[in-house]
This record gives sequence, C-alpha cells and structure tokens, in this order.
Amino acid sequence: MDDRKVRNIGVSAHIDSGKTTLTERILFYTKRIHAIHDVKGKDGVGATMDSMELEKERGITIASAATFCEWGGHEINIIDTPGHVDFTVEVERSLRVLDGAVLVLCSVGGVQSQSITVDQQMKRYKVPCVAFINKCDRSGADPYRVIDQLRAKLGHNAVAIQIPIGLENNFQGIIDLVSMKAVYFDGENGENVRIEEIPGALTQEAIAKREELIDAASMFSDELTEAILEEREIPEELLTNALRSGTLTRKITPVLMGSAYKNKGVQPLLDAVTQLLPCPSDMKNEALDTDNNEKPVILSSSAEDPAVALAFKLEDGAYGQLTYIRVYQGSIAKGSTIVNARTGKKVKVGRVVRMHADQMEDMEAIPAGYIGALFGIDCASGDTFTSPGTTLTMSSMFVADPVISLSITPKDNKSQINMSKALNRFTKEDPTFKTYVDGETKETIIEGMGELHLEIYVERMRREYDAEVETGNPRVAYRETITRKAEFNYTHKKQTGGSGQYGRIAGYMEPITEEEFEFVNKITGGAIPTQFIPACEKGFYACMAKGPRMEFPVTGVRVLINDGAAHSVDSSEMAFQAAARGAFREAYAKAKAVIHEPVMKVVVETPTEFQGPVMGLLNQRRGMIVGAQDDGPMCVIEAQAPLAEMFGFSTVLRSATQGQAQFTMEFALYKLVPQSIAEELAEKAAKAKKGI
Amino acid sequence: MLKKDLITRHPLGLQGDETDVISSGEFGAVLSRAGVGKTAFLVQLALNAMLRDKNVLHISLSDPVDKITLWYKELFNHLAQRYAFEQAGQLWESLLPHRFIMTFRVAGFSVPRLKERLADLTGQDIFHPDMVIIDGLKFNESARECLADLKKLAEEQSFHAWFSVHTHRHEETSSDSIPLPLLDVEDLFDIALQLQPVGTDIHVKPLKGPSKVISGLSPLVLDAASMLIK
Repeated sequence: MDDRKVRNIGVSAHIDSGKTTLTERILFYTKRIHAIHDVKGKDGVGATMDSMELEKERGITIASAATFCEWGGHEINIIDTPGHVDFTVEVERSLRVLDGAVLVLCSVGGVQSQSITVDQQMKRYKVPCVAFINKCDRSGADPYRVIDQLRAKLGHNAVAIQIPIGLENNFQGIIDLVSMKAVYFDGENGENVRIEEIPGALTQEAIAKREELIDAASMFSDELTEAILEEREIPEELLTNALRSGTLTRKITPVLMGSAYKNKGVQPLLDAVTQLLPCPSDMKNEALDTDNNEKPVILSSSAEDPAVALAFKLEDGAYGQLTYIRVYQGSIAKGSTIVNARTGKKVKVGRVVRMHADQMEDMEAIPAGYIGALFGIDCASGDTFTSPGTTLTMSSMFVADPVISLSITPKDNKSQINMSKALNRFTKEDPTFKTYVDGETKETIIEGMGELHLEIYVERMRREYDAEVETGNPRVAYRETITRKAEFNYTHKKQTGGSGQYGRIAGYMEPITEEEFEFVNKITGGAIPTQFIPACEKGFYACMAKGPRMEFPVTGVRVLINDGAAHSVDSSEMAFQAAARGAFREAYAKAKAVIHEPVMKVVVETPTEFQGPVMGLLNQRRGMIVGAQDDGPMCVIEAQAPLAEMFGFSTVLRSATQGQAQFTMEFALYKLVPQSIAEELAEKAAKAKKGI
Repeated sequence: MLKKDLITRHPLGLQGDETDVISSGEFGAVLSRAGVGKTAFLVQLALNAMLRDKNVLHISLSDPVDKITLWYKELFNHLAQRYAFEQAGQLWESLLPHRFIMTFRVAGFSVPRLKERLADLTGQDIFHPDMVIIDGLKFNESARECLADLKKLAEEQSFHAWFSVHTHRHEETSSDSIPLPLLDVEDLFDIALQLQPVGTDIHVKPLKGPSKVISGLSPLVLDAASMLIK
C-alpha cells in the first residue's frame, strides 16, 4: 500500500455548523452509504456517523467514530470530532491521530468561541487544515466576512481558493480559482458535477481573487514566483503544489465554500483534501523512549520497523470492546503479538477491521499511517501498543484534574449492575471522567470537567446501559492548602496493657507550589529507625486526602522531619503512622490553611446591546471580567468566574439576552476563596458533620 | 523586595513620587515608529498604576484581548524577575481586578460608543477607571474632534488618558519639533514622549511636558529585549 495515497483527516468545528451533515455527504459521494439522512432527520434514521442514540436525539456528535472512504484513488479516514467544549478531551485525542483537518465554519455564524478553542487545539498539535465555509445558502451568508474573521480572530493566513456563484437563496455553485472554471452540482443529491466556463458577470471578481490567491501562494514556491515575474500562464499543478507546501506548514489556510445540506461544494472539498492535506509520511510523529528518560524519538512511518500504535478511542460493540488505533510505525497484523506500553501486558491480535461508522470490514493488517480497529483487546484509551522489545510510548496527553463531582445512586438492583458496567467503560474512554465510592457515605461519586460533561454521562448510562440513577447536587472540588511554615513535635503514646504504642516525630511543614506533596527525611543519628520512615510518610500522605479544616483534599505541602524518638519495644509502624497523623494535625492548625476553588474561564458571545447586562450577570457571580472585544454586531466578553457560582448560568444568560448569547466555559486555575465565602463553607461543613 | 519597592521603579524613573505623571482630565502621548515599543511602554505605565491600586482601562483598537493580556503578563513577569520579587503569583492575582481590557475595531470605535460601554461598567459598579490607555487610535484629520470629545469624557469621569501615536519615518521633520501626527492636536496633550531606537537601546525623549517630569527624565534608556528601563 502506498501511504502517499492515504489521508487521515478530521472534521472539526463549532457545534451546529453542519459538520455531521458534511461528513454524511462525503460518505454518500464516496459511495460508502447509499442514502442521505439528515441530523435530526424526520425518517428517524439519523446521520450515519452519529452512532449513539443520544447524539441522534440531540443532533450533536459526542463520540468520534472513525470511518473510511475512497476518493480519486486516495483512501481517506475521517474522524468525526465532537463539537462541544465539554468534550475537549475527545477532540484533543482525535486531533492527535489526524494528519490534517477540515475546519468547518458557518457562513452566517462565522468564527465562534468554540471554533477558537478547537483551533487552539489544532495549533497545539500542529494539524494543517483547510477551511470549509458551510451553509452558503442560508440568509445572511457572507463567506468573505468569515475569511476576515479567520484572519483576525484565529490568525490564519486564510486565502479563498473558490468564490461562490450567488449567495443565500440564490447560491448555485462555486468558481474554482485554481482551474478558473465554474462548478455546478446537478442531480437530486448533487452527485453530478458539471464544469462550465465562468459566468460573465463574475469574471472580473474571479480574476481579482485569483491574483490574491497566486500572490499568497507565491511565498511557498520559487518556481511560481518566477512564473509570475515572467508573466507566464500559471499551470494548475504549480499553483496547487505551492498551496500544498504552504498548507503543510500551517502558513496558509485554503478556504473552500459550499453548502453540505444543499449538496454543493462537497466534491471539490474532497479534491482539496487529497491535493492539499498531508499524507502520513508528510507529518513528523514523536514517541517517547521510556528506557531513555522519555527522550522524544521521531517515528519512521515505515512498515518494516517495530510497530507503534495509539489506541485513541474505545467503543462497546455487539461483539465486545472495539479499540480504534492509529498505527504510526510498523504494522499491526492479525495473529501478531503486541505489548501494551502502559501495563506491559502482551496481547495477541485477533480480528483487525476497518470501520465505517457502525459497519466494519475485515483486514489482514493495519500498516503505518492507517487507522483501524482491534477486537477484544482490553485497554484504556490513550494506551500505546508496540511490538515486543520496543520501549516507545506515544506521549501521555495532557489531562486536567476534575473540577466538579456529583453523587449518583442507582434506583434498583438491575441499575446497580448496569451502572458499574457503564462507569467502568466511561472511565476507560475518557480520562477526565473519574469515579470512586465515598468511604463515609458509601455513595458513588462521579467527577468531571463541567456540569454538562457529567449530565451527558448520566444520560448515556440511562440510554445505553439501562441504568436509572438519581443524582445529588453537583459539588465543586475545593482544595485546601497551607500558606506558611509550621513546626510540629508530636508524641504518640499509648500504654493500655499489652504492648504499647510509642513514636515521636518532629519537623515542619511548608507550602510548595510545584508539587502536591513532598516528603523530606532529614533525620540524623537514627532518632527514628529507618524502617519506620516509610510509615511516617504514609501517615502524612494519608492526611492529604482530607484536610483537617474542611475535609477538602490538601495540596501543596512539603513535610520535613528532622527529629523524633522511638522505643525499642513499643514502637511500630502503626505507632509512627498515628504519630504522623497527629503531627500533621498539630502543624496544620498553625499553618494558616486556606481554601482554593476552581475558577473557570468563561467566554460569552453576545449581541452588543446586551453587553451591559451580561457583564452585570458575570459580576454578580463573583466573576472578574478580563476584557470585552467589540466586533461589530457581536461582542465577546471574557471573564474568570468561580465554578461554584456558575451553576445554571446558561438559563440565566438565555433569559437575559433573549436567547441570543452563548457561552463556553473551561477550567482555568485554582484560586483563593474570599474570606466571606470561606466562612460560609466552614459553616456548611460544620452542619454536615452534625447531620451525620 | 516588597510591593512598595516595585512601585517606585516607575517607568519614567520618577523616584519616590507616587502620584501619576498627569492628573485626571489630562492626556499623555507616547510616540514612535511601528514596532519600537509603544504598547510595551504604555503597559508598564499601566502596571505601575495598578500596583498603586489604580484602575486601568486598556482600550485597544488593534489587538485582541488575549494578546493584550499576554503583554501584561510578560511585562509583569520581566519586572518581577528583574527585581527578584518573590510572591509574584499572588501579587499578579491581586493586580488583575484593577485592569479592564476593551477592544474595538478601528472602524467601530467612537466616543459615544465608548461612553455607552463606560456607562455599562460604572453604572453597575463593575469598574471605575482612574487611567485609560488608548492604543491604536489613528491620528488623522478627524482625530481632533474625537480627542476633544474624549477630553470632555475624561474630565467628567475623572480619569487621565495615555495614547499611542504611530509616526512614520518619512514624516519626520527636524529632530526637536513635534512629529506630524501630533502637531495638529498638540495643545490637548500635557506630556509627549518619543521612543527612539539608538543601536540596541531605545531612548525616551521628552517632547513636551511639565518641567519636573522632563528634568527627571533625561537619561532614560529602555532595554530593547525586555522593554524595561535600564
């Protein structure tokens, strides 16, 4: 197989810009599906990519299915990425396995706040992209404004390689500025592409826009520059090659347009994907060598070398767990043995398949650069698989700590069993989703990155696993930390018949910022016998889980012990653990403990007339407004607000702005809780204690 | 190093003088060619004011909010590093509430519009600026009217304002006179400073201003790498 004919692309965009519809059309034109269903279709079938029932109902894509199709002799793997900000882990994980992306933008909505987040992620993983301005048939469509926004808001060097023939209701087709031809889409589903000369009225505009395009592309090809200077006719291929090298380095973003819903402009987009986006060997992929201090190693993308593959997505199919993998180096064949780099476990590969949303196709092997799926392999998403003897691992992805938690209680016995199945699956799929059982209340707690994030999982539990659960009130993940150094000198002594307990520990604790917990042993002369030191550390560490003040987890503490005493008979590991706990409490009381709360970065997009009220709303919620960006009819307000105050914000925002504002929220940092709020929390904690 | 010491490192080198260079209702201008460091200089003035618990409204007509936040963060870090300020993180957090960034598109900016925005802020008691920075305003033929309106607003709301003025190489007249863009509206400004690259340094040259400032200013040199006063 020739990997230059392979494209692994993602379709990435703001929610509702028509990403799923576009993917659907691509699958139709590449003859992977034979009928078109719409998102929220009346026929109740739904678009093929959204395989989850919940997604079908809400019209949004939650999980990113990988699907395969062919166009013009090229094999294209499409990863449908989730559009909502609460699922950014899935988006980021998908971006990791892509070589290129199609950034879909709505010609009316333009660059919205979510597009900015997605774009930042693409920048982080250096994913080259082409932009597709969708919905050119909608009223208010203005692709040129969107191009300006791409430049101004996202900093892309966006250049149109097409211009529309008519807009809004009158949108008929596009003019390809590379070939200088008009392209129309005939037939019931736009499957017949008709190429004609450019209509007279648009000739001038097309020529002008082509000049701009050539000008921008000439930066990336000396040959093209020469041709311009000599005023020669510019061959299509030369221009395409120049555009391609600009695109690969992310220095240029070619912009295409159309309307997926009206079946216009999709085939030229596929052409652009094959012509302009990179093949796997164009991209450099790095792995970390665990034997060599995690030094980055560049992977060869040759099928002969030892295999390295990343499991980026798990799915529960009818035949067990399906693991989507991207092979970076070597190949993974049926019957071969691979090693999970995280656990070190060897696994034998059973079936190897290639996915098309819900259907699959068996394969002999997945070579480097390809995306496929394995059956019956137990792993978590983000795991690396390698050939035995290789010590490489794909770098672990950045995963934030959860900021919100919710207690869930199953309604009946059947739900109980299903719930644990579901939780087991979800935690494997999504590293930001965590679950544990509270030791005191015996409740199951789920943790995640936001209100909606948890809501979706509760919904999925109900729908996919038939587990009815009752949820408690969402709780914010507060933290405690100390602000100054405090000394301790604690003796644990018990003599109540039998062998007693004795241990004395002295030293101090102090705040640190780099780590959550650090234990330093500065005992000299064996004041505490060496065998008891680990017990001391364990005792201190155990206290970190629940702060003595408000029972929130404690972070940022360094404990140093420098003196102590032991008894030849009465000292034991247990005694020193108890002594450590006592010492922690003693010092903690003096160390000026404070509470930190998660603060979210909130970005609100609102029509300018509501700017004042929105700022007021944010201000009421202890939000600190960072800035307001005036952008014609819309404005963007950026603020930092504590998560605790943001529950139900979407409803309040909607009612204050006649439903015209939208907002995104992501975790920013932990910040000190103001005194008054801290007192409130203390009161609540005290009440809760009494209640038990 | 204490916060107080950090304050005295005034970008204009005014030792021990804790008042603002100009008082409310007055205007200051920082002039230079593109890329010399007008914004960096203005941000330092702003940081200094914020350290003294003054509220700064930063209006930019060219950069997005993110970029301006970066300017502040970078310069603050440079400042904290240079003077080995220990609890920089905490201080930074305490400064943030004193800053408000507003961005407009050049075409979308007008004084009535700004007035409306300001009313949003002051009316709901969200933010009351003591100092306003306007970065990127075009000093062309119509600037006079806009500036006059701003002056009125500044007097009403009792803030003082600093402007960045973009000069052009070909417009430079003799080295002592006021550069062309400001010439027309010079009377509205109480202080004007020009930034001039000299070798690897940048010199701050006072063009006009109160004598106490001018005299304290003479040997001002900016480090081109960090944009801090050497």
